[in-house]
Amino acid sequence: MAENGDNPATIARERLRAAMVRLANGDSTALEEIYESTRVKLFGICLRILRDQKEAEDALQDVYINLWQRADRYDPERASPISWLSTFARNRAIDRLRTGKVRGGAVPVDEAAPLPDETPLADALMVDAERDAQIHKCLGTLDERTRTHIRSAFFDGYTYAQLAERADVPLGTMKSWIRRGLQRLRACLEASE
Amino acid sequence: MSTDQDIERDDPMIAAEWALGLLEGEELLAARGKVANDEAFAWRKYWWDNWFAPLTDEMKGAEPGPHVWTAIAAGVDHNRALQAEAELAGGGGAAANVIDLQARLRRWQWTAGLTSAAAAVLLAFLVFAPGSEPAPSPGAAQTPAIAAADPMVAQVPIGDTGLRLDVTYIPESERMIVGAIGLTADGVHDHELWLVPEDGSALQSLGVVKPGEVRSMTLSEEIARNLENGVGLVLTREPIGGKPEGEKAGPVVAEGAFSQV
Repeated sequence: MAENGDNPATIARERLRAAMVRLANGDSTALEEIYESTRVKLFGICLRILRDQKEAEDALQDVYINLWQRADRYDPERASPISWLSTFARNRAIDRLRTGKVRGGAVPVDEAAPLPDETPLADALMVDAERDAQIHKCLGTLDERTRTHIRSAFFDGYTYAQLAERADVPLGTMKSWIRRGLQRLRACLEASE
Repeated sequence: MSTDQDIERDDPMIAAEWALGLLEGEELLAARGKVANDEAFAWRKYWWDNWFAPLTDEMKGAEPGPHVWTAIAAGVDHNRALQAEAELAGGGGAAANVIDLQARLRRWQWTAGLTSAAAAVLLAFLVFAPGSEPAPSPGAAQTPAIAAADPMVAQVPIGDTGLRLDVTYIPESERMIVGAIGLTADGVHDHELWLVPEDGSALQSLGVVKPGEVRSMTLSEEIARNLENGVGLVLTREPIGGKPEGEKAGPVVAEGAFSQV
């Protein structure tokens, strides 16, 4: 898969991928290994979306138990394990937000928890530098207003209605802005493939 | 004021909205239903997820409390105990069996690189194997008969086209599934698949391959007894309809061998 086989990031990624495959094959000891190497990143995602330490911890618990049950859905040919896990964690956190159990935005995220930057695996668990650059480049081609709202949907988990309210525009206008942006984003990303 | 009327809200757009987390209520339910049945939609959702995933690198990491792992480990143990109970009780074992089967199937997909279409057909046959009776009525408390032995899989790559046949044999049901997804008919030839018995006896025809389809067939006992690990397959190019009676088989265009997965 990756050419630079002895790069620490590649090694970490391959180790994680192997653990995911073991988990899918029913080896539940692999779950602890996956937890050890990914909890900081996935908890950061849950915390960012849910903005509440307790809610985020519940979500995280949910993520790993679900992962144990559904590891067979991960297809190592299609996505890097960290990309898949990050998406999985964010989706679970968003689901929690949408079920109404959580009052979003209760605690400003910076006050919510200590944020260690020194985690050794942090760099190794970057999703993908190349794709990272590309999605930023494509987001950068959008006008600032559209970009801000799309980012806000992704990072804060806001709905169309919340975004419209915050921007003080009609719902239809917000939908229109974002959809137009997504259309352009898609064209830009497709052109890069 | 601009409205959303002027933007085409096609499936890729809905997939993008979903990946971003914008869908709610019925739209979200509809999208979840669609993803299970619509491969193009599922692919597009995955596409968007993969593009958005790197953005999570901007979210700062954070350390959860140590009790989280304890709760996860307890949750997993609890679920495992429930499963074991269901298996022991027998009655609830069907669901556990299907889950086990899906896990096995996924493993075969990984190890053998089966296409998802072939795997879906395989799953359908495994659950209802052996025999070809239709499924029991939904909700019937009948434990699906599930093949205990792992199937044998052969891949027959077609030249260097990147295309291939997926051939899967389910030992207990004597069924073979031939997937020719991605292949197209040229209108002047058919391709016939042959088993090459280990003992050097004459090739046995497995029939003409239907391009673009996944077909299942029941094998005769004569053929089934030759199916063992390592046995070879060849694909020959024939006139439309397959090798004419009394003539030699056409040129071999591809070959493969079975292996147990």
